Amino acid sequence: MQLSGTHVLNAPVGKVWTMLMDPVTLARIVPAVSSLELIDDNQYKALAEIKMGPVSGSFSGNLSLLNIREKEGYSLHVKQASKIGNADALINIALKSLDDDQTELTFDGDARLSGLLARTGQRVISGVANTLTKQFFANFDEALSNEMNSVE
Amino acid sequence: MQVEINVNGKARKAEVEDRTLLVYFLRDTLQLTGTHVGCDTSSCGACTVHLDGVAVKSCTLLAAQADGCSVTTIEGMAKDGEMHPLQEGFRECHGLQCGYCTPGMIMTAADLLKRTPKPSETEIRFALEGNICRCTGYHNIVKAIQWAAENTAAPMLADSHLWTNDVVVEKVVETE
Amino acid sequence: MSNRYIGESIKRREDKRFITGKGRYTDDIVLPGMLHAHFVRSPYAHARVVGIDLEEAKAMPGVIAIYTGDDVAAINGVPCGWQVNFRNGETMREPKHPMLIPTGSTAKHVGDAVAVVIAETKDSAIDAAELVMVEWEELPAVAAPADAILPDAPKVHEQFPDNKAFDWTFGNPIEEVDAAMEKAAHITELEFINQRVVPNAMEPRAYIGSYDETSDKYTLYTSTQNPHLIRLLMCAFVLGIPEHKVRVVGPDVGGGFGSKIYHYTEEALVTWASKQIGQPVKWTSDRSEAFLTDAHGRDHATKAEMGFDADGNIVGLRIKTVANMGAYLSTFAPAVPTYLHGTLLQGLYTTPKINIDMTCVFTHTVAVDAYRGAGRPEATYLLERLMDLAALEMGRDPAELRFQNFIPPFDGVEQPGYQTQVALQYDSGNYEAVLKRGLEMLGYENFRAEQAEAAKTNKILGVGFSTYVEACGIAPSAVVGALGARAGLFESAQVRVQPTGKVSVFTGSHSHGQGHETTFVQVVADKLGIPMDDVDLVHGDSDTIAFGMGTYGSRSLAVGGSAIVKSIDKILEKGAKIAAHKLECAEGDLEYAEGKWTVKGTDKSIGFGDVALTAYVPHVYPAGLEPGLDFSSFYDPANFTYPFGCHIAVVEVDKETGKVTLKRMIAVDDVGNVINPMIVDGQIHGGLAQGIGQALFEGTIYDENGQLTNGSYMDYCMPRADDLPMFETDRQVTPCPHNPLGVKGAGEAGAIGSTPAVVNAVIDALWSAGHKPKDILMPLTSERVWEAMN
Repeated sequence: MQLSGTHVLNAPVGKVWTMLMDPVTLARIVPAVSSLELIDDNQYKALAEIKMGPVSGSFSGNLSLLNIREKEGYSLHVKQASKIGNADALINIALKSLDDDQTELTFDGDARLSGLLARTGQRVISGVANTLTKQFFANFDEALSNEMNSVE
Repeated sequence: MQVEINVNGKARKAEVEDRTLLVYFLRDTLQLTGTHVGCDTSSCGACTVHLDGVAVKSCTLLAAQADGCSVTTIEGMAKDGEMHPLQEGFRECHGLQCGYCTPGMIMTAADLLKRTPKPSETEIRFALEGNICRCTGYHNIVKAIQWAAENTAAPMLADSHLWTNDVVVEKVVETE
Repeated sequence: MSNRYIGESIKRREDKRFITGKGRYTDDIVLPGMLHAHFVRSPYAHARVVGIDLEEAKAMPGVIAIYTGDDVAAINGVPCGWQVNFRNGETMREPKHPMLIPTGSTAKHVGDAVAVVIAETKDSAIDAAELVMVEWEELPAVAAPADAILPDAPKVHEQFPDNKAFDWTFGNPIEEVDAAMEKAAHITELEFINQRVVPNAMEPRAYIGSYDETSDKYTLYTSTQNPHLIRLLMCAFVLGIPEHKVRVVGPDVGGGFGSKIYHYTEEALVTWASKQIGQPVKWTSDRSEAFLTDAHGRDHATKAEMGFDADGNIVGLRIKTVANMGAYLSTFAPAVPTYLHGTLLQGLYTTPKINIDMTCVFTHTVAVDAYRGAGRPEATYLLERLMDLAALEMGRDPAELRFQNFIPPFDGVEQPGYQTQVALQYDSGNYEAVLKRGLEMLGYENFRAEQAEAAKTNKILGVGFSTYVEACGIAPSAVVGALGARAGLFESAQVRVQPTGKVSVFTGSHSHGQGHETTFVQVVADKLGIPMDDVDLVHGDSDTIAFGMGTYGSRSLAVGGSAIVKSIDKILEKGAKIAAHKLECAEGDLEYAEGKWTVKGTDKSIGFGDVALTAYVPHVYPAGLEPGLDFSSFYDPANFTYPFGCHIAVVEVDKETGKVTLKRMIAVDDVGNVINPMIVDGQIHGGLAQGIGQALFEGTIYDENGQLTNGSYMDYCMPRADDLPMFETDRQVTPCPHNPLGVKGAGEAGAIGSTPAVVNAVIDALWSAGHKPKDILMPLTSERVWEAMN
């Protein structure tokens, strides 16, 4: 399954980068993720709860950041297992500074699904992915404005 | 938990797990194995029974949801040794081959004929939309239902032994 | 001989139990102390089992045992029943399917089992299975047959790096076909996929293994099409237990369509486990599991070329196909693309030169084997698509083009059988007759005008033709033996006349919807001139039936019925000796009719019941004759039987949406003599629906990782009642000249002829509106049809 999207965040690239590298923020803005625990350099243990139509379940697994390029982006490798199937996604995230207050975040990647998730979830899953993406950016926007407000 | 369900005219009380589906209550607890399981997505209709006089897929309901309700299964269709007109129709028109989907087909058709005593071919085909048959190509199933509609004087009461035939629609649990 | 039942639409005897909910399918059976099995299966198409942690699962309440691959390493894998070697003589590669994938080995398709949990209830088995922690190392996978032969394709079996199971060529030498094609005035070329479909018998597979310590005997209840074959394979090749210590029962079976012919790992495992534990073990597949573990059907990628001379006569046929075998070779898998497919490429035409080049490959998918028609639908699809397309390309009428190329009628008695270029000799046929009748039913003379009118609107019309010949009644043992079968394909029958003249018939055929309990009894009652009520049929139990090869390939009546007739002949022969003795005349002076032996030209007679009683109370009895009236026979057919027919589809295509509506489906089939027309029609109807299903609705979708993405009834589309019209069927009768009933077989015909008729009709509709696609990928969804127009 292909995942991609672009969104303009109202914050300078440095700010966006800091937030993207912070597990506490990430756990807050990534939808469905309930906990993110640092286990090694740039490696996290993640728990997630997803409900998507006919398939819903609790996921646990790893999340690691690879190919980290300061203020430019990184690759996010997500490996999650659950009773209803496993997911393995590699997502490239790129940041581009538009101006002093705006940063464009682009991501694209591929998620491999197995088990029941692949068998019966396929029809609904891209819709779910789109919803999660929207939520992610909405959460990001909200977190940014909270940050900005608290700073100001 | 304990449920009490009137099945084919008999009150049946049993202890079930919360997660027990109605179909497994019928098959495993009551040994009424005429109701079949053909899929795990409520798509095939082999498990169709009547709940308070309306056709439902018994794999979509918990036994707990049927607590206090009346259920008719294929085993309850013949009365005093006399077949229901639909049972006769299926035999008369060769509306079955392997027999696995047949109970569900008959229960769905009984529901249709109760609502629409003289259905058109199109109405029959649409009514059977939720039931899959892999043997007959539906041709003779349609004919069997037409036969039943034509060969019965009395209204099609699949559930004549129910406490009432006036179906209380509000009580019916949604299946889809 | 009286003829009161044969040819009559007698209502089915088996119906009573099915319409009252009293059918007894395997999952309905409950044995005392019965436990339930649930399998832990690979979520990946290709992955190594790094480790399995059972600790948590074992601690679950109700869990009795958990077995992994290491526990069952001593059990042989499931073997294949047919061997087709490479064309260079190299032996067929035959990886056995292990019971459970052991640690360190790799699962080779999604659904390959790694462990089995046996518990007191089904729910507790499922709960515990979810806690079996398998550590997987995911590996790259390949699902499509054409991808599997690419040089860098992931390997299914390490030891076979090219992923080939075998390759095969058949027919005339390729040089001769090439030469014929070079002279052709027109060559119609078609590349297509005959997609993978799932048989989807409505009853999921279910097995119960049970072991009795006192008699050291196993019983296996199994939803199978052939109990004896399962016993043979399981005892001799998998579990290594003596056959006489195993009883295999196939109770009511809810459809098979091929998928329940094969011996599956779960059958052997529940049987084995029942002895380990000392309690019966049941496993019932759920539907999702069925999608991942039942053998699938078809899955060919083909390039076909048909050459014509300037007058439209076929001069040659050249075919290259890659067929998907799946990860392991299922019981009959190698025979399907080869001897059940390549040998049918003559079709009904006089094609002088034919060659097929077949490569059969392994992929990371569940096994592919026979599915209703098995090879013959693939051959018919190929030929009939080419015929309609050639007609469109050459501006010829598709019916005319067929008439021109048909093999002329032959009855196999006065005229000899027809020797094809692809080994088979057809027994009898009258191909023009079925097409003529089909055209009459269609009202063809008016259709083209209607079509031209419709072409001006948004709802365009198309007609598709398909004429087929198939090979049923499999099969002469010596022939199939020479072609690689590892079994004979005869059938057995015992006719036991009880002392009171009532008759029990034991057949090795197995009914799972076909109505044998009615049709076989019609035959017996007629041949013996006694009421049907005096005859019962017993099938599906290896302890009561001597032997049997089972039901598939439209063989039951042609082979199993013939075995019954052989036993009846023996009964009547011995009965005549007893009757002659009682009537004090010579056997030659007797004639048998209406259930009695009569001295010719007199009114002296003795009834069947009296003779039966005499046989068991032999006080006044011919000297030297054994008492009793009970005969077994084995019938090995002299040839295949060759039913044929004509299927015509009329479709409406919505130009704006691409939606196809099947308006009419006409089928004229010649299946030889007919015992019960009602049942034959029912078989045709069901076949049509499955064939139409393949054309318009069905097909697996594997993603690039080998995941089946439509493995449920929510996602895999099958025809429903409102997708189909009433079928218009008719029959011609050209008796089979080489079996005693003159019957040919009707179970698969509908599925063989209908698929290309429907696809041809859609292509015809599009051409009528000026679009000229050669092919649309099956199933013909609205999206694909729309794309072909835009």
